Amino acid sequence: MNTTASHTVVSAAALALALGAALAISSAPLTAQAADSEKCFGVALQGKNDCAAGPGTTCAGTSKIDYQGNAWKLVPKGTCEQTASPTSPTGFGQLEAFEEVKNS
Amino acid sequence: MMIASPIHVTNSAPARLPELPCQAGIGLKSQHYQQILETDPAVGFFEVHAENYLVAGGPFHHYLGLIRERYPLSIHGVGLSIGGQQALDREHLERLATLLERYQPQAFSEHLAWSSHGEVFLNDLLPLAYDAATLTRVCEHVDQVQSRLQRQLLLENPATYVEFASSSMDEATFIGEVVRRTGCGLLLDVNNAYVSSVNHHWDVQAYLRALPLHAVGEIHLAGFAEDRDAAGERLLIDNHGAPVDAAVWQLYAEVLQLIGATPTLLERDNAIPPLQVWLEEAQHAQTLLEGARATRPQALA
Amino acid sequence: MNSQAEFVAALLDPERDCPADLKTWNGSDPAARFAVYRNNVLSSLIDALAASFPVVQQLVGETFFRAMAAVYVRHSPPRTRILADYGADFPAFIQGFAPAASLPYLADVARLELLRIRAYHAADAAPLDADALATALAAPERLASLLLRLQPALGLLDSAFAVVSLWAAHQGALTLAEVDLDQAQCALVLRNGLEVEVLGIRSGDAVLIQALLQGRPLGAATQLALACDPAFDLGACLAHLLRAGAITHCAYDTQRPLP
Repeated sequence: MNTTASHTVVSAAALALALGAALAISSAPLTAQAADSEKCFGVALQGKNDCAAGPGTTCAGTSKIDYQGNAWKLVPKGTCEQTASPTSPTGFGQLEAFEEVKNS
Repeated sequence: MMIASPIHVTNSAPARLPELPCQAGIGLKSQHYQQILETDPAVGFFEVHAENYLVAGGPFHHYLGLIRERYPLSIHGVGLSIGGQQALDREHLERLATLLERYQPQAFSEHLAWSSHGEVFLNDLLPLAYDAATLTRVCEHVDQVQSRLQRQLLLENPATYVEFASSSMDEATFIGEVVRRTGCGLLLDVNNAYVSSVNHHWDVQAYLRALPLHAVGEIHLAGFAEDRDAAGERLLIDNHGAPVDAAVWQLYAEVLQLIGATPTLLERDNAIPPLQVWLEEAQHAQTLLEGARATRPQALA
Repeated sequence: MNSQAEFVAALLDPERDCPADLKTWNGSDPAARFAVYRNNVLSSLIDALAASFPVVQQLVGETFFRAMAAVYVRHSPPRTRILADYGADFPAFIQGFAPAASLPYLADVARLELLRIRAYHAADAAPLDADALATALAAPERLASLLLRLQPALGLLDSAFAVVSLWAAHQGALTLAEVDLDQAQCALVLRNGLEVEVLGIRSGDAVLIQALLQGRPLGAATQLALACDPAFDLGACLAHLLRAGAITHCAYDTQRPLP
């Protein structure tokens, strides 16, 4: 993009060029050029479950029992173990056991 | 239907009465939106929880709007906290009014329970002591709801796990008084009646017959889970996560004998089955409905 | 304390006695029955969080997630009757939750998932008619003062971690081993029709969008973006926003405010 050197004030011509390009790209069917711009911008992902709606209300009880106590001792044991962990000396998600914590 | 109750002590008769078809309906869940629109299943109506649709926009409203064009709708509230010791949340009532205005449902129902206290919403239907103070409060709240919404509220009998030492009347008497004083209707949850009767060792037949059956505007059927109390006695959990139990089907058939065909919802909130399975369960209710008297004798003026 | 206040206090604190007024037909301990209500409240609210934060749950596993969520539910039960709005401060809670400290990216993953839920239920807004921008293009000298309003569903997240890649890996778009956690990423969440999209965007794009959200005109917003990212491409950025229907109104600075 063209800008003036000193204050990086964006010129009207540069804005017009960009907006013109944006209108052309967005109104055209997906072309190679458009695909490039998508790639440059990022990849759009819609989520595995595309009607993921989050929580729904219920007017029912449950028979699934959740642990009711306050004190617990757990470590994360999920897909985090497959990620390269920035904090782990091994470079992978090795998780230390935590001391039993009391959360009131 | 006509409300046989002669006395409205505190309120005029609600402006609009429920008008669901006397058929079987099912709950509407987001995972079934597209399949319903693609296959147009034969079902009498759909029911949604009001609070799931108190969002600004997006797919929920998009799909509910499309489905409402094709099917009758029942809106079932779970968050009004009609039994709460505090005043009704006016803002919540206003949001419900807007929702009902938008979708023009054939029925609106809520629970004889409470779910909020202070600012906290507990997302469960909590039990009430059946005493004079509670009765006055519940009637005031029902009046307030019916006045604002300009329609008859169907109040659902609860499933409960405890009773209160301070209760001065039984549940059926309490519900009968609320119906008599406010002119509201009854959403008769047959599963709840069974669950509570087992949990509290009530005679379910006597309980049902003591209810204001003339005021039933809708029936709910659902499944329960089974647990044990501290003495090892059966404790049923109204979990809406299983097919309707054989004992509840039997009670349902008896209720239809008593009151004739009545709009009936098959409720599921946990372990939502494939649409086809749910529809088959509704079809069973539909068959029973078609075998029942079309006219509800108690509803005749 | 009225009786419902006592009931609520006992519901949320398992170490409190159950309310005194309870009775059972067979004289059995009412605490066992009251536990059903305790469990209904806790489990249903944990379920609500699990539905809103599925990738957080996958990262830490169900057992850890439910235990962590239980602590949150007790500290921060819903102040809303609309569960879609519950959990707004769950990401901040995770950030301060010591047992999850080994996963410093976890709170940002939660923030991304929160943006998705918000986008899903946000108010509908019709995309700006392309003619309106074509008209604006006919007066290039005024473009710098053009204000663009973006859809209510749109959300931005600027993370020190590779949150978009982490999230994408849980959608099957890439493998976890490919994710470089320490790579800072910006996420753009928007709703394209009925679909919520998550995009990894360049920092310049994020600066431009943030500036537009703050009501800055196009010229000033572009300047800020270029100052942050010299390779910023305004045309590509606007093209994507337009294609997703994310621009809903335009007006000139002098005509403030936007409709």
